Amino acid sequence: MIAPRTIRSLKRGLSRNALAKVGIAIVVVVLFVAIFAPFVAPDRPGTQNLNESRQPPIGFEKATTQEVPVKENGSVVFEDGQIVTENRTVYENSSWDHPLGTDGNGRDILSRLIYGARVSLLVGFFGTGLAMLVGVTVGLTAGYYRGKVDDVLMRSADVMLAFPSIVLAIALIGVLQDALEQSIPDPFVQTGVAPAFRSALGLPTGMPESTTLPGTIIVVVALVNWVWFARVARGEALSLREESYVKAARALGANDASIMFRHVLPNAITPILVLGTIQIAAIILLESALSFLGFSSANISWGFDIALGRQYQSTAWWISAMPGLAIVITVIGLNLVGDWLRDALDPGIEGEGGV
Amino acid sequence: MSHAGHRDDLLRVEDLTTRFYTEEGQVNAVESVSFDVRDNEILGIVGESGSGKSVTALSAIDLVDSPGKITGGEVWLRDAELAGEFRGDKPEAVDGDFVDLRQLPTGVRRALRGPKFSMIFQDPMSSFNPSLTVGEQIAEAVEVQRRASANPRSTRSRTQGYGLGKLLVDSVVPGRKYTSDESHERAIELLDQVGIPDPVERADEYPHQFSGGMLQRAMVAQALAGEPDVLFADEPTTALDVTIQAQILDLLRDIQQEQGMSVVLITHDLGVIARMCDRVGVMYAGEVVERGSLEAVFDDPTHPYTQGLLGSIPDVDDPAPRLEPIEGNVPNLLDSEMPDRCYFADRCPKAMEACLEHPEERAVEGDRRHTARCVLADDEYDPERALDESQFEGGDGE
Amino acid sequence: MSFDVETDEVEYEGSLVEVEDLEKYYYENDTLFDRVLGREPTAVRAVDGVSFEVQEGETLGLVGESGCGKSTTSETLLGLREATGGSVRFKGRDVFRMTGSERTEFRQDAQIVFQDPFSSLDPRMTVGEIVTEGLRIHGLAGGEERTERAKDLLERVGLSARHADRYPHEFSGGQRQRIGIARALALDPEFVVLDEPVSALDVSVQAQVLNLLEDLQEEFGLTYLFVAHDLSVVRHISDRVAVMYLGKVVETGPVDEIFENPQHPYTQALLDSVPRASVEEYGRRGGTLEGDVPSPRNPPPGCRFHTRCPHARDACTKELPPDYDTGERHEAACFRVDADHEYWESEPLPHASETGEGTSVGGGIADSSD
Repeated sequence: MIAPRTIRSLKRGLSRNALAKVGIAIVVVVLFVAIFAPFVAPDRPGTQNLNESRQPPIGFEKATTQEVPVKENGSVVFEDGQIVTENRTVYENSSWDHPLGTDGNGRDILSRLIYGARVSLLVGFFGTGLAMLVGVTVGLTAGYYRGKVDDVLMRSADVMLAFPSIVLAIALIGVLQDALEQSIPDPFVQTGVAPAFRSALGLPTGMPESTTLPGTIIVVVALVNWVWFARVARGEALSLREESYVKAARALGANDASIMFRHVLPNAITPILVLGTIQIAAIILLESALSFLGFSSANISWGFDIALGRQYQSTAWWISAMPGLAIVITVIGLNLVGDWLRDALDPGIEGEGGV
Repeated sequence: MSHAGHRDDLLRVEDLTTRFYTEEGQVNAVESVSFDVRDNEILGIVGESGSGKSVTALSAIDLVDSPGKITGGEVWLRDAELAGEFRGDKPEAVDGDFVDLRQLPTGVRRALRGPKFSMIFQDPMSSFNPSLTVGEQIAEAVEVQRRASANPRSTRSRTQGYGLGKLLVDSVVPGRKYTSDESHERAIELLDQVGIPDPVERADEYPHQFSGGMLQRAMVAQALAGEPDVLFADEPTTALDVTIQAQILDLLRDIQQEQGMSVVLITHDLGVIARMCDRVGVMYAGEVVERGSLEAVFDDPTHPYTQGLLGSIPDVDDPAPRLEPIEGNVPNLLDSEMPDRCYFADRCPKAMEACLEHPEERAVEGDRRHTARCVLADDEYDPERALDESQFEGGDGE
Repeated sequence: MSFDVETDEVEYEGSLVEVEDLEKYYYENDTLFDRVLGREPTAVRAVDGVSFEVQEGETLGLVGESGCGKSTTSETLLGLREATGGSVRFKGRDVFRMTGSERTEFRQDAQIVFQDPFSSLDPRMTVGEIVTEGLRIHGLAGGEERTERAKDLLERVGLSARHADRYPHEFSGGQRQRIGIARALALDPEFVVLDEPVSALDVSVQAQVLNLLEDLQEEFGLTYLFVAHDLSVVRHISDRVAVMYLGKVVETGPVDEIFENPQHPYTQALLDSVPRASVEEYGRRGGTLEGDVPSPRNPPPGCRFHTRCPHARDACTKELPPDYDTGERHEAACFRVDADHEYWESEPLPHASETGEGTSVGGGIADSSD
């Protein structure tokens, strides 16, 4: 379906656009760590270690003077009914065991980010895929048939758009509950490849054996976002149905379904794909927001981790900031890729024009 | 200047060359084109799409945009005043009453658009701003000219009058208009002059309220705002129906005669050329391949391309049993694909061995007023010396 | 190159294609929103009662200016647009009532070539796929056989078999139009609608395509409906001509009759307007018609042409002129043909040039596209 000239045009866009390279690099790295999480994560994402709680990231060590109770034989010393204290210098140690620090329960933040990427990307890709499927089907049908079909489909889409997306999402979660939650086993751990790899390198073993697939969230974000795909697909279908080659196909006796799949959809695919990349970013943001608000059942997720760090905002900023940064970088990367696709594919068919 | 030319010459274009630097490579849109425009005449430039006829006009009035660039040639305009002004500073740019516009500063060249040259385009709908009334847009053209003539040779006077500040003030202060009442009245006069009924009412309408023909008239009115000496009309009737085309052609001729101006009419339609033009230039692949009076070119075509063009149009009065088309396709003008030989040789039914060398513009049978870029201008076709078809292998012609 | 496409030869009376009172209205202000607001839909009468017939083996030229409804007529008669009224009979059978196998057969027998060589080919299909699309849809040939036919067809229209694997954007306008013609021929049709097939082409290429169309007609015994605005092309290719103005056919007749002895003032004006490519043309004024074509949203009463007609009289505004016979198979819808009509007694309209000075008729403002 992708013609060689499309690939040429993509390459040309890439060579001219340094930012696109950055975007692709970001997306590739995020995808890589998400897929190979059991190999690349330095620690177990879920195991608590209160002794190492709130370790700062590398480069952010600092010494503070704190009033600490004086202890003798492990118990606090009282004098005149008061706890005896002394001023001591406390070091917030960082260690290469936890390059991005640890959270309030002493869990390694980097490992949580890596596992959180799995959830974010699963929701991003599957949510967008589902939204695209629904939206494109509705949009193509509406645009191709026009008239009453169009009126009914697109007016209901407008109604969807009228709700604030978060509110709509929360309402849908309320209806669906976690009926669609799935746990997908991690093949690398199940087959024993990852544990062997880790013990060979001397890394902690006992990685999670499965990843949560937050089905409810996926369905919800798709139901919130399909409208954008429907609008774009409808617009394309409206103009493509007037192309002479569509009329020619009808004159040859082709039926509507075959015209839609052979002539309309392939020629509408470019803007839909471009919208798709940008929608992945939007959906990742929505998922984070929902996790932050506590509406997701996933217990490792960028948005969820931001929420975890909220209570340490003043003392351990990195607990919230690191997942926040992960979201920002990923979303920027996806948007850069989207821009590149749009610029490279939008001129449509190259080689025309001239003087 | 190399040759003297005609004494009525108003504009002499010599060896004008324009290139486009595109992704596919360098495009030789205009290749060493020469023509002259005389006082009070209509000169036709005819060619198929991609022949470079539009770019030629744009190049002559210095309106070529990036990625295009005029890379050579001279454009001599007869203007005694301008010649006097530059005789001291730039003697090489002055020859008698003529000045070479290509050697003048950009600001001076720009100031000539309007009072010396103006242009009308094929698609009137996209040539007007849909959010302003037609009258306002013509008044604006009038205003630009009035301000320019109040302070000639300075573009500054215009930009001052037309700055963002004035625009903001005009749009905030009620009752103030971007253009003066005098300009608006002149705009209505112009609309009347081009045959728009009820010009007072129509001036306040928006472009979408006009039909194609009426809008083309309005564009002529706008072009007349500066009372130009030369009007370039680029396919002015191509987008119009035949009955409307006839009206616009009549209008152009009337205006040309009333104003005593010269018109350069660019079209692909040989019928339009025949009806309107005193002299004709035929363009192919960026070159003028033949030029001369209407009679010379139509009744005694020398270049096989001109002959082919005349042979391929069906005659409305006489249904010939069979058309005689020119075989093959128009070349794409990419520099890398342009051969050293005559550009038409691969389609030419009379190509000879001599055509392997790129022909110069030659006088036809010694008549300097009729020239052709073809060896046949002063030679006979000789089948003995015919070019072998196999010369053109590798091309993907039909 | 005739393919064994199954066609049951049916006996029918009359012409191959018979169009009767064909109507195609478009409705504006007809969305749900407009209905909620209680707006009345406006009818745009693109085709307003058109009748003509095309006989087997002939070329009927359908000529008119943009917005006259000629393209809409051709697409409606093929069933590509839903007709508002009237009927079209193909080999005696009603096209709009066909079902099942009848319809499939019609889709094979009647084809169309479009004006725009750029939008008429799907940019994402190879030329081979485009040309054989009809065969694929009707399941008529598969695999190897289909590829072979694609090559045959391409060669027949003057392209090369090598071109089958390329994409449309690699071709020039003239070559693309040849591809469009090959696609129409793939199903071995009897009737081809040519909707402005050469108007987007340069003159030298236009002549190549016209010659090709003539050759193909002779070789395959095709019947053409040739829709065009260019009178020279129509004269060259047609056997008979129908002239349309504002959704109506104003004159039909054999090609030489129409061009040498036009009866309707509109046909006469059209012929006057065409610039001829000869030296005698120099200086001739062609603008015999004033004003613009009125809008089909609000067509003038009576004769549609009376607002621009130099011979218009009061009678023309009252009543729609019927088709008068003016010769063998030559009809014109103008009262002037009828020597006894009350037209001759009624007052000339103010703009009509017969009254002396022609004042300008204000231009109709709306421009409608075809």
